[in-house]
Amino acid sequence: MSFTEKILCSKSHEYLLDNGDNTYTIGLTDYAIEQLGDIVFLELPEVGQEFSKGDTFATIESVKAASEIYLPISGKIIEINEELTDAPEKLNEDCYEQGWLVKIEATGDESEQNDLMEYEDYKEELE
Amino acid sequence: MTKETYLHDKHIKLGAKMVDFAGWHMPVQYTSIIEEHKTVRENVGLFDVSHMGEVFVSGKDSLDYLNSIVPQDITKLNFGKAVYCQLTNKNGGLIDDLIIYKLGINDYLVICNASRIDEDLNWMVRNKRGFDVKIDNQSHNYSLLAVQGPKAELVLKDMGYDTNQESFSIKAGTVCEMKVLVSRTGYTGEDGFEILVENEHSEVLWDKILEYGKNYNIKPIGLGARDTLRLEAALHLYGNDLDENTTPVEAGLSWSIPKEKQADYNGKDVILNQIQNGVEKRLIGLKMLDKSIARHEYDVYFEGEKIGTVTSGGPSPILGYNIAMAYVKNIKNICIGSTVQVMIREKLHDAEVVKRPFVQKRNKIKM
Repeated sequence: MSFTEKILCSKSHEYLLDNGDNTYTIGLTDYAIEQLGDIVFLELPEVGQEFSKGDTFATIESVKAASEIYLPISGKIIEINEELTDAPEKLNEDCYEQGWLVKIEATGDESEQNDLMEYEDYKEELE
Repeated sequence: MTKETYLHDKHIKLGAKMVDFAGWHMPVQYTSIIEEHKTVRENVGLFDVSHMGEVFVSGKDSLDYLNSIVPQDITKLNFGKAVYCQLTNKNGGLIDDLIIYKLGINDYLVICNASRIDEDLNWMVRNKRGFDVKIDNQSHNYSLLAVQGPKAELVLKDMGYDTNQESFSIKAGTVCEMKVLVSRTGYTGEDGFEILVENEHSEVLWDKILEYGKNYNIKPIGLGARDTLRLEAALHLYGNDLDENTTPVEAGLSWSIPKEKQADYNGKDVILNQIQNGVEKRLIGLKMLDKSIARHEYDVYFEGEKIGTVTSGGPSPILGYNIAMAYVKNIKNICIGSTVQVMIREKLHDAEVVKRPFVQKRNKIKM
């Protein structure tokens, strides 16, 4: 199974990967990265911070502008991808395997995922 | 209705990412802003800037007329030369910044910003008063292609153009057998040329420049890199760094204003008074001391007090750190080397006041 077959995507271009133990990996879709262009700055939250679904938990900046990144489900940050904050340009090469942003422990109900789409449907929605 | 330049199809075919800019559907990048930026600094890039305005001013009073609407002394502008000017209102505020070219006796070309063409024309017509001049907006008939970078001259030479011309000069010439007007100007902080061509020839000219430029690794460059290039060179962008409530003196453009100009012009009293007695706000350059990026409209602080606002900011691909321009209160304690703070997402980030331009203009490549 390829990475994109395993993820759910939000309308605001975040993805959610179920790790199976009530933890999830969060990142931005390739479409989002493509739209942003050269990534030059990434600000991630601290481990232990808690957010509700839809909260801004990170900021990403391309050459042209700053954008907020929203958490697709409620959760507590358990790990951040520190390598990326040092070299955010790596997101332009890979936003999935190496380019995930944070890992969270879900704190909300599974119904929070109802508005998330499979990657194929997400892609279709964009067209 | 969004307007398209005559090169619109070229941009689409090249896979450009398009954006709306000042009512025009323009390429923001073809591959990567950073890559395109470096291409212009190291080799040569081609820009479609056909959205800019071209206004021809002619008639027996054209010299006196132009002299009455800009602080610059047009009487000193020689045939075939260009001068950077500002169109000022009665308070000395900026309606636009322009380049005026002298094409002949009583024959001038004014190149202005796409976003300001309507305001400029309005103002120019209103200020005609008794002057015997013809103001002829030809923006819709011309395309403007900018060839910029240390190797720009080599490309034009190979195309059969005699590049023997000074910076800020303009001449009629032939490029690949097409009649064009070529000025040695630009908006990148590099040596370069801007080629004015009739719309019908613009596609051929675009293709020819890319073809001849291949030997020098030419690339098409979008508005994204145009913005980062001009920021490194600390060139003002109207709407960001210049507006109707800001005078050229506040904008750090006093160097362009002759103090002894005889003729009266709009805002002369305000401008001369500011040159003599100082200003309340002024433009400064900032170097961010951490990885954060100061952007348009972020607030600037000094010793806990809000002192101004960022007007342009972003990464400098050449310097490897983030830079910005900001208007701040004219406080004596703030000078080159001072540390101020920029409020970014509710946190203060240190920035050092530095000289403008951020990147020095380099000399063209010696042959």
